[in-house]
Amino acid sequence: MSDPRDNVQEEFLAEAHELVEALSRDLLLLDEAYHHDTRIDPNLINEIFRSVHTLKGIAGMFGYKHVGLVAHALEDLLDDLRLGRTSVEQRLLDVLFDSVERFQRLLALEDPQSSAEDSGVQAYVAAIRAIGLQPEEEADDPLQRYAIEAAVLSVLTEYEEHRLRACIREGLKLYRLRATFDLTAIDDSIESLREVTRDDAEIISYLPSLEGGNEDSIELVVLIASRVSEAELKAHFDGRYGIVEPIAERTHLPTLPPRLTSVPAAAMSMAPQPGEDPGQASLTSVANSVRVDIRKLDHLMNVVGELALVRGAIDRTVNRFKAEPTHRQSLMDLDRIGRGFERQLAELRTGILDVRMVPLGQVFNKLARIVRQAAREHDKQVRLVITGASTEVDKLIVEDLTDPLMHLIRNAIDHGIEPAGERQRVSKPAEGTLALNAYHKGSNVVIEVEDDGAGMNAHALREAALARGLLGSEVSHELTRQEMLNLVFLPGLSTSSEITNFSGRGVGMDVVKTNVLRMGGIISIASEPGTGTKITLTLPITLAIIRALIVTVASRTFALPITAVREAIPYSPEAVRTIQGREVITLRGQTLAICDLAGLFGFQSSSGQEGRFVIVGSMGNRELGFVVDGLIGQQDVIIKPLGKSLSAIRGFAGATDLGAQKVALVLDAPALFAEYFEGSGALRSLGARP
Amino acid sequence: MSASAQKATLAPDSDSETGTVAVLAVLAGDEAYGFPLSAVREILVSPPLTEVPRAPEHFLGVISVRGQIITLIDLLRMLHLEVTESRPHTRVLLVDNGQELVGVAVDRVVEVYRMEPDQIEYASAVDAELSEYVVGLARVPAQSPSDAEEMLILIDPVSLLGGTK
Repeated sequence: MSDPRDNVQEEFLAEAHELVEALSRDLLLLDEAYHHDTRIDPNLINEIFRSVHTLKGIAGMFGYKHVGLVAHALEDLLDDLRLGRTSVEQRLLDVLFDSVERFQRLLALEDPQSSAEDSGVQAYVAAIRAIGLQPEEEADDPLQRYAIEAAVLSVLTEYEEHRLRACIREGLKLYRLRATFDLTAIDDSIESLREVTRDDAEIISYLPSLEGGNEDSIELVVLIASRVSEAELKAHFDGRYGIVEPIAERTHLPTLPPRLTSVPAAAMSMAPQPGEDPGQASLTSVANSVRVDIRKLDHLMNVVGELALVRGAIDRTVNRFKAEPTHRQSLMDLDRIGRGFERQLAELRTGILDVRMVPLGQVFNKLARIVRQAAREHDKQVRLVITGASTEVDKLIVEDLTDPLMHLIRNAIDHGIEPAGERQRVSKPAEGTLALNAYHKGSNVVIEVEDDGAGMNAHALREAALARGLLGSEVSHELTRQEMLNLVFLPGLSTSSEITNFSGRGVGMDVVKTNVLRMGGIISIASEPGTGTKITLTLPITLAIIRALIVTVASRTFALPITAVREAIPYSPEAVRTIQGREVITLRGQTLAICDLAGLFGFQSSSGQEGRFVIVGSMGNRELGFVVDGLIGQQDVIIKPLGKSLSAIRGFAGATDLGAQKVALVLDAPALFAEYFEGSGALRSLGARP
Repeated sequence: MSASAQKATLAPDSDSETGTVAVLAVLAGDEAYGFPLSAVREILVSPPLTEVPRAPEHFLGVISVRGQIITLIDLLRMLHLEVTESRPHTRVLLVDNGQELVGVAVDRVVEVYRMEPDQIEYASAVDAELSEYVVGLARVPAQSPSDAEEMLILIDPVSLLGGTK
């Protein structure tokens, strides 16, 4: 049974990883703003600061001392950045980006205290500290330009003062909003005030006014720096919140120092906590999301499955009574109740599936970092274009997707996209484009990784396969261009780096393919020399529930995931021919290999029987007909894994309860395809390991 | 496996005050077998069985227990005993092997015995084939006065079902 300590540890790691991901995402935004010379949103820097601050806090609690040390140094650096003591520049960005990798490595350590990391961490902390301070050079203090009361200036925090200066320097005008707030809802009101002004103005600070207000309410003076005209700003606030008035600009500089030491007692003690407090802000930002162990959702899904079984049992009981006319009215009622039950059950199931869904954007954000890194390593210019980041997929699939996608992206940048000089020679823009597209297609999600690089060299792949004995020379001449491209998925081929460099695709494509197949997906390649390469992954949206075709084979029931099924046609024994020891039929002019499932599973074949079917399955660009005895219909099924003791048996993805304790095995189409095509004959040479 | 290690397998089932061990006795084929009661989660009337093609012979197939898919094994085949005829498996023990729940098909459930440790014979004298799954033997009172004392073969569920300790 699980140790509660482990649970806590797991919670910590989950939270820490989330923080690092958020950090990574925000850093990319910062990087983008810096490189495109757009205004850097101070909230962004605050977000980054908060992530690091929170990480420092929890790392300390859980004894991850290295994480704590790094986070601490970063926090100081970010604080300087936040307060304008230093500014965003390339070296600082590089240090910040390094931290993401470093945090991830440190969090993965078996022993969080390991002294092996000491020197590396110390060096990194020194590098962070070395970024150092760049004192702000200020000829004249912009604060002097406005007639702000000394009492107000004196209670601004260092951060607020910095923001005030920055806003004035940017040319924003200052306004004062007097508004009365209900004491009980003050936090919400201020938050909504921030929301209203987000794009047009920045709330610098708010202080209680010395007049106004009573027991239940308080009058605040809100200091606002506005990008928009007085009239527009007034339109936001007037009436709803209170009165906006401009703060007078000074015509001549005062002799008074900007900061005063005398502070009205009321202003000090009643000043509400500014929302910039990092601890508070991070708490509210997670308040509307809950982190849930996916196993709990699996459990709920099982409960829904059981409810469906209960529902089936009620149905059967009702049907038994239907024979007796005396119960007609009650039966009609029961029927109605049953239908209501069914609707709610469907709703519940959809609800749970929905909770499991997370946007692919989560993975894409991680990948954006890889793109940046790989592009820098190879000194290439790469623009990442993401579409469909909001496309939702089962959490489990998202997790398993990260590695394969990372691989594909690295390959595209390492081997696909050419260096800028080479691109310009062939009249392509110097900056290469890498597109990550995601969209739903039926019950599948499609993810494309597309580059406008040099494309793959199909002939190089064929030569390499020949040279490694993965391909017979007689077969090699019959290969179409597409088949040559598919050679990249062979285990012995794509693991060698010298090939990848001139074939335009990288190592480990076989691993990518295996991972995708394991998720019940397919992978395909399209590539044109000189134009680019597109790799398409088609995956089920969820692994928890799938639509399946229920078939019978030798009086036994099996479920075949509908994603693998193209069509079902009647089987006629007389149409079967034998080519090279394999049974085939002709379907719309094409030869289709067929495979009797009864024979494959060692059952007594029902070859003599009437009314059999061929289920045409398709996987990538291969098709295979499975001969079955009967079709029962389509059904949504919850796939349960076979127990550990049966997990080594090939051909089954799991089992599912069809109701009334009737269990059907779920066929593993990718495995059956692999077994059939790679098991014998000419294609054996394709599938064999060197 | 040493006798002391085998003893350890049964130890968690011992009642610390009396030192007794609760053992569930079942019949399968011609013999009576004993499972530590603490490892047995549930006894079920045999549910419909779905056979799994390509699985080794001692796997009878899979069953559904409230929506959960459970592997069902044949105790006798697992013990490498000759099984001549198909027997009426009337009961299934849901046994926790430390990793997962596994169903063990048996012919009949007899009763629960409370045993003193000295009733258990940690025998190495048992058939070598058997011994990897067998903790030892125990004498139990006869079912009816006419019968002689019976011998219970004590099974170690963890090694039988391939889990880890």
